[in-house]
Amino acid sequence: MLKNYGLIAEYESPHAICEASKRVRDAGYQKWDACTPFPVHGLDKAMGLKDSVLPWFVLVAGITGCALISWLMIWVAAYDYPLNIGGKPTWSVPAFVPPAFEVTILFSSLMAVFGMFALCGLPRLHHPLFHSKKFERVTDDKFFIVIEAQDALFDLEKTKDLLNQTHPVSIELVEEQL
Amino acid sequence: MQRLVLLGLAILGLGSWFLGFQADPTRSLYGYLFAFVSVLTIPLGCMVFVLIQHLTRAGWSVLVRRIAEFGMATVPLFAVLFLPIALLGHDLFPWSHVEHLDENLIKKMPYLNMKFFMIRAAMYFVVWTGIAVWFYRKSLAQDANPNVTRQLWKWSTLGIVLFALSTSFASFDWLMSLQPHWYSTVFGVYFFAGCFLAGLAFMSLALMRTSIPLKPDHYHDLGKLLFGFTVFWAYIGFSQFMLYWYANIPEETEFYMRRLEDGWQSISWALLFTNFFIPFFVIMSRHAKRNKKVFAFGCLWILCAHFLDIYWLVMPTSGDEHWINFLPYDLGALLGILALFMVAFNWIMKGQSMIPKGDPRLKESLAFENY
Amino acid sequence: MHRGDLVLDEDLVKREDLIRGGLGYHDITEKVCKMAETPFLETHKGWLVGFALAASTLTMFVLAIGYLIWEGIGIWGNTSPTFWAWDIVNFVFWVGIGHAGTLISAILFLFRQKWRTSINRYAEAMTIFAVICALIFPGIHVGRIWVVYFFFPIPNQMDMWPNFRSPLLWDLFAVGTYFTVSLLFWYVGLVPDLATLRDRVKNKAAKLLYGLFSLGWRGSMRHWVHYERAYLLLAALSTPLVLSVHSVVSFDFATAQLPGWHTTIFPPYFVAGAIFSGFAMVQTLMLPARLWLGLKDIVTIKHIENMNKIILVTGSMVGYAYGIEFFMAWYSGNEYESFTFINRAFGPYAWAYWTMVTCNVITPQLFWFKKLRTSITVSFILSIFVNIGMWFERFVIIVTSLNRDFLPSSWHYFTPRIWEPIFLIGSFGLFFTFFLLFVRYLPVIAMAEIKGVIANGDDHHA
Repeated sequence: MLKNYGLIAEYESPHAICEASKRVRDAGYQKWDACTPFPVHGLDKAMGLKDSVLPWFVLVAGITGCALISWLMIWVAAYDYPLNIGGKPTWSVPAFVPPAFEVTILFSSLMAVFGMFALCGLPRLHHPLFHSKKFERVTDDKFFIVIEAQDALFDLEKTKDLLNQTHPVSIELVEEQL
Repeated sequence: MQRLVLLGLAILGLGSWFLGFQADPTRSLYGYLFAFVSVLTIPLGCMVFVLIQHLTRAGWSVLVRRIAEFGMATVPLFAVLFLPIALLGHDLFPWSHVEHLDENLIKKMPYLNMKFFMIRAAMYFVVWTGIAVWFYRKSLAQDANPNVTRQLWKWSTLGIVLFALSTSFASFDWLMSLQPHWYSTVFGVYFFAGCFLAGLAFMSLALMRTSIPLKPDHYHDLGKLLFGFTVFWAYIGFSQFMLYWYANIPEETEFYMRRLEDGWQSISWALLFTNFFIPFFVIMSRHAKRNKKVFAFGCLWILCAHFLDIYWLVMPTSGDEHWINFLPYDLGALLGILALFMVAFNWIMKGQSMIPKGDPRLKESLAFENY
Repeated sequence: MHRGDLVLDEDLVKREDLIRGGLGYHDITEKVCKMAETPFLETHKGWLVGFALAASTLTMFVLAIGYLIWEGIGIWGNTSPTFWAWDIVNFVFWVGIGHAGTLISAILFLFRQKWRTSINRYAEAMTIFAVICALIFPGIHVGRIWVVYFFFPIPNQMDMWPNFRSPLLWDLFAVGTYFTVSLLFWYVGLVPDLATLRDRVKNKAAKLLYGLFSLGWRGSMRHWVHYERAYLLLAALSTPLVLSVHSVVSFDFATAQLPGWHTTIFPPYFVAGAIFSGFAMVQTLMLPARLWLGLKDIVTIKHIENMNKIILVTGSMVGYAYGIEFFMAWYSGNEYESFTFINRAFGPYAWAYWTMVTCNVITPQLFWFKKLRTSITVSFILSIFVNIGMWFERFVIIVTSLNRDFLPSSWHYFTPRIWEPIFLIGSFGLFFTFFLLFVRYLPVIAMAEIKGVIANGDDHHA
């Protein structure tokens, strides 16, 4: 059985999709999206999106990495198995700086990447939008606005009217398998 | 009015330094050297900023460039201020006491002798004055004729090479040779990092007092550079320290040993925080760089911390164990020279266009947006 | 163009277009995807020949490594006092090359150098393959490779931990982190482009693979917001990382008390040298590839010129370091220091030293002339020179410092055996095998980024 996933409207240029997004945003839709082949400058504002929270995750990950490796190094070198190597003190802080730095960067970067995908809800194997033949061009040169049927304001005719007012190249109803 | 105040401060500062000079001439000379080098790093930092902007054909920085040019054009003043060091340098530099030099220093005599020292100093000032005057004049000429830009671009290459060599060797001569047995190949880079920080911090502060139509985006970029160079300074400082700490060779650790005794250890430890951790966290965030007040605080902090860095480089070599007592005289010298520098800076700035209005990239700078 | 009453020279104002030929979004997709979409049977003959060559060299490398593990590192010419030679030279050489990619992707990104978008994918791929080559050498030169886990802080029945005070361990952390982060950076950049290929290819298997690796990317703006932030963060994290990696490599040498190694300029000097060699390698690979892949409009003369300028700048930094080292060796008044440097320039390895100086300092000076740095032939030849020179730089640092010990009775002239060149050439086999596979099956240009750059350019005109 099929059910409506939502309406997609296709646009030709970054400018067009920015203008259209403003209309959709102002109409009060919540569950909608703009899909583009590249990050369009200013589209986040046109859609009313907030800044990403990712930097905070990354900061926490970096501090965690730094603390963990520092603890490990000091515990290993000074407490668990202290050895006199080259006459260096067991608490050789200058020598611990390079690994501490590297691990801080490692943890932060892993968080930046995996945190980003988690925030995006990726990876996923399939998405209803992939049913649309037209939508294949989203990774090439076409720009799409997607309004989900889940949205409280969604109404097939009214939403279509709204999208029509934004001068899309085409509008398509996408269905998903139940 | 402002000029009178500054001149008053200069007299006050240098006068109080002179009191110290009468009490202990040798000790106070170190204070003078500290003040001289500290303030000199500002025009040097401005100079390298200007050269890099031309070298990279930068667009964003056109609006802020003129301030840097005013800063660098004060360099000739420092040729005059160098005279006390030239005349009384014998008391400052241990290698000039030719009567009792050890074997190692005798080997260095072809380089470390008063005559060659003077010749080199003269050369540095000729090079710096040359760069400053030429690039300043050409930049003014660019206001009327944008095609001068090509010359600026072309000669910034030679300028940067001469600048790199002259500042490196100046740092060897004026700072490193205070402990003449000690040497470090990265010292010139360390000094350069300090210059760039001083120049940027000063420029940012000076810009806030002008009517140049800057956007937060411009401060944001200056802040990014300051942040980057704060880290760079720490990187170079750490590399030098860690390598000498690790190999633990007496003639190399001498530099740090001196700075970890007689109360100097407090400054050594403080530097870690004043010059790295605090500015790092203060200007790390994007909002701090775009907020004028926070950013101004950050710049002021970095500038003062940089002076502390130079203090830490110069003063421990004076052999003074009661340096706190003498601190007011040292600060007097700093205040005096800083005030003189400001007088020169304001005098150069007066009546000049505050923006390079002939620069072909001006439009780009006006429309500049940062992310 | 007029501004007020001033008449401006047109080329002064105009920034050169990043790509030529007025390509639209779709043209870029077509151009970049062409190679990856060519069916297997229609593969270009040149590629097949190149791949066969590279793969056989790689096979030789694998066999040589097998023999080395079987027989021990005695098959190399390393003897007292030169216990470190080609193995470490090759390691540093490859790590150095691996620096350009991250420099281009991270540092040039932070400096808003938009031209980097035409070459970053390429250079990042090169970085990863170079770091793989690099990691192999310390791996095999430990001799008993089956206990290589000693390096890692793994609790074991011997209650034995790695020595965190050793620069060699720092190296493991630095290069390991660098490899991981470079791979992530590269992959994050690839995801949208893999999605492009997923939506285009006809072959079922290919579609499945591209689909799997593109993680279900659908270009959602809600994702792009996080994506762009992650990219910026990765760039900001990679910038100090790239500096730290070669600094840590330089610590391997500089923490020692050996004259010629123990010098404080090593960290920034190694970094400059690494970027220098990395850019040269990018040039060496890119100049022919842009011809063969038909990417002349995307990678233009302007890009080549810019890279040559960076080669000139970093080459001059390296020259500065050579000069300062020499000066300090004399200024130190330390006879061992001065001896080492005089020995480098005039001793038994003078030939290596002067090869290094010629290739690294003298020939790049030709790039001062615009005519030469915009010539493809000259760029290609000089980039090869730099590759050679930078290999010799590491050779000079390592071998000339070691072969003159403090004890003259142990002085010994190091000569490699037949195996050393085999390992070096073999590592090139590995590098090129990966590289050819990358060129064949992945988008060599960051399409999404280029499109973004073009679009923003359009905004300014509007």
